[in-house]
Amino acid sequence: MALPETIFGQVWKLGDHVNTDLIHPPSHFSLDQKKMKEGIAEGMVRLGSEVKKDSSDQGWIIVAGENFGCGSSRETSVRGLASFGVKGVVASSFARIFMRSLINVGIPVFECGEIQEYVKDGELIRISLKTGWIELTGSRRFHFSEMDPHLKKILEEGGLIGYLRKEWHEI
Amino acid sequence: MPEGYTGEIIKRHADGRREGQYLSVKVDFILLHDPTFAILLPELRDSGKEIWDRDRVLVTVDHFSPPSSVERANIVKEVVSYSTMKKLPHLFMHQGICHQLLVEGPWLKPGMLALGADSHTVTGGALGCVATGMGSTDILYSLITGRTWLKPPEAVRIDLIGKLPPYLMGKDIILDLLGRYGEGGFLYQAMEFYDKDEAISMDDRFAICNMVVEGGAKNGIFWPDKVTENYLIERDGHLSHQRNWFKGDFEYSRRIKMDLSPLKPKIALPHSPAHVADVEEVRGEAIDQVFIGSCTGGRLRDIELATRLLRGKKVAQGITLLVTPASQRIYQNAIEKGYISAIVEAGGVVLNPSCGPCGGIDKGILGREERCLSTSNRNFKGRMGDPSSMVFLSSPLTAAASALAGRIIDPREVM
Repeated sequence: MALPETIFGQVWKLGDHVNTDLIHPPSHFSLDQKKMKEGIAEGMVRLGSEVKKDSSDQGWIIVAGENFGCGSSRETSVRGLASFGVKGVVASSFARIFMRSLINVGIPVFECGEIQEYVKDGELIRISLKTGWIELTGSRRFHFSEMDPHLKKILEEGGLIGYLRKEWHEI
Repeated sequence: MPEGYTGEIIKRHADGRREGQYLSVKVDFILLHDPTFAILLPELRDSGKEIWDRDRVLVTVDHFSPPSSVERANIVKEVVSYSTMKKLPHLFMHQGICHQLLVEGPWLKPGMLALGADSHTVTGGALGCVATGMGSTDILYSLITGRTWLKPPEAVRIDLIGKLPPYLMGKDIILDLLGRYGEGGFLYQAMEFYDKDEAISMDDRFAICNMVVEGGAKNGIFWPDKVTENYLIERDGHLSHQRNWFKGDFEYSRRIKMDLSPLKPKIALPHSPAHVADVEEVRGEAIDQVFIGSCTGGRLRDIELATRLLRGKKVAQGITLLVTPASQRIYQNAIEKGYISAIVEAGGVVLNPSCGPCGGIDKGILGREERCLSTSNRNFKGRMGDPSSMVFLSSPLTAAASALAGRIIDPREVM
């Protein structure tokens, strides 16, 4: 599975140091997909997002600040985000476990700090993986840091499980 | 150029494969617990693959321990039935918190590389090894292959100098660092501690390493010394490792010198472990509950020092004091030494060794606008209960002193 050339989605804007307990409250821990997704909706309420919809037709792109996803390693947070329709995550910087887990479930991550100041909650943005630009609704665009080849390879396989399967075939 | 002792350990575990900045490394040991193992179980079963080395895996049931709902009971059932079916030799049910069991068992030694499906796996670094947490899918990969991909981190050398005053604990040291450098202050980095005076006990070192992840660090590690050796000899009956870890002069991106003697008792205010003040600055703040427990603050020394203050006194009216020993072994030691009886006489409630209140899992859940002073590691909004509740983090000494006073006080007032 190749990575898409562009990702298009509605912005869910978040601040600095947003932890996984906020994104997905621990009381919502469950292996049930539907409940995982509900946990994200609850997180959205707790984080005070201006975007009130349960889901977006276009899918979501999170734009966060520093150290996004700090705290617990519980993968219910990123799996919940995937079933909630999050197609990509942009942040000034990522907490390491969270970043690995996003990639592992096949959600691309983009490091870009400047965008925070200009992007609006709920606006539609386009990320071009080919050119390395993130385009906002107006004419503004921002460059994101080049993705590490290892992470790119995992994403190209749709996540770490796909990457692992490919390894079996190669061995 | 790999940095620090961490870089050296990663280098020694590398198998030669490299992609981008990531190295393929062999893993010595893997830690799993009920909820995070349950997440990867369907995929592990679907893969048709086996765990690469069953002797190198510890499975604990500590989060839903024992389960408090049907859903959780089913999660535990899945984990236990897989582990028994596959005859995993190290399955520990309701024996305590995984991060304590991992260091109580004979597995982790200096120079090793360990992973765990939990962010607080960093605790193990106190034994001089690289120990770090990952999500379930990463752990699934390692369970099958016996390897992982790591980006060698930058390393920060932290020299702890001087004697730790009797009113301070490891918790105060790590809170001070988090307060000064912030929640992302050590993002992706290795925090390497050197205790030249060998003044910090192993239990305090566990508390320090446990919370390095709150500063964003990949791992925390104590340079192995006499304290480490004594711990290993007491634990294993012998020292199976040569003292070869004493060699080495490492590169560091940053160096921090920390004089322990002038430090004051610290407290993290809601809702961040890095929102730190001196306890005396918030003297008198109201609380409803005090929790002494968790993988940060439920070890024998934590209970011992808390008991010194609690013995012969009574917890203030209107305050709930919860004490959770981090493992059954600690629980038994605390019984033998009379700590448990002193806590009960003081009016404390002793819970079975498990994660419990720390992650708002069960028992001690906070209601609307309730306030808890906790010896655990995270005070994120809503983590311990209602989103309007508030959690303060402190050492067990500050927690015990405050339980008696019925409000937050500095332990020096009662020592």
